[in-house]
Amino acid sequence: MIGPSIHIKGTVTGGEDLLIQGKVEGTIDLGDHEVAVGQSGKVTADIKAKTIKIEGEVAGDVTGSEKVVIAKSGKVRGNIVAPRVTLEDGAIFKGSIDMDPGDTRTTQAAPRVEKPVAATPASTANPGLDLKHG
Amino acid sequence: MLQRVEEGERVTVLDVGPALPETVAFFSNGPCTLHIADLFSALPLPPEDAGFAYSEQFRALLPLPRNTRFDICLFWDLFNYLPAAAASALMQVLRPHLHAETRGHAFGVHKRGAPEDSRIHGIESADTLSLRPRRQPLQGYAPMPQAQLQTVLADFRFERSVLLGDSRLEILLRLRQGETDLTL
Repeated sequence: MIGPSIHIKGTVTGGEDLLIQGKVEGTIDLGDHEVAVGQSGKVTADIKAKTIKIEGEVAGDVTGSEKVVIAKSGKVRGNIVAPRVTLEDGAIFKGSIDMDPGDTRTTQAAPRVEKPVAATPASTANPGLDLKHG
Repeated sequence: MLQRVEEGERVTVLDVGPALPETVAFFSNGPCTLHIADLFSALPLPPEDAGFAYSEQFRALLPLPRNTRFDICLFWDLFNYLPAAAASALMQVLRPHLHAETRGHAFGVHKRGAPEDSRIHGIESADTLSLRPRRQPLQGYAPMPQAQLQTVLADFRFERSVLLGDSRLEILLRLRQGETDLTL
């Protein structure tokens, strides 16, 4: 773990999972492991790992060989490449997402509501989400 | 417009709206490159007479790789918040990134007095859009008449327009084949 008071400039590599709560500038390459950017984490770097979960702020390109998850508190500006990408409700993202699920198709975990076309908004589990047929 | 997505073809998509979970989830079901620009967050654009040409503003807001060609452009209701000159500038910036089969989607108005529909749009499924209330109201709602919008979006022909409630129009756009210079 990189603690909240730690500030690293340079290249971060390793053979184990990593939780970043501090600041990292440079590059992060953890190969077949997991990188988690915690809520207090601020990363200005390209990140490569098997799975990447972002709850903090990232400016840089993010490459996940398995999946990338931007949590509801996450802010990402950059380009994402991964077979599967999940964006949670409330996450902020600008950039491009290059996805190719191949055989690893998945469903989105974000809350959803089905509602008829042009109907008066009904009581739903997620009142912020309304649907219409396009 | 989304048939290619359903058939599992690789598509390159421009979404000028904010990143929404349902839109990312929809396009993640197949090979796709999804560019999320959230141009709405830059509204209102500084006027050109303040020294910032609209085309330069859009180039800064859309740092697109040179070889990017969009199959689908999701404009949502952005044109209802842009001066005609800005919308033309956006078309100019996008022109090198379009191709003969590019399709677009936008919301316009049938009557200029149509009330603002201040909601965020996303894609829930191939025939269903999601609508979410905006957290903050947008400034500068000034929809163009349909004829003016057609002139501004001259690179596209209006393939289909559907009159919605409150005099809003849902418009499917298709690039005018052979009539647009797509060179960089």
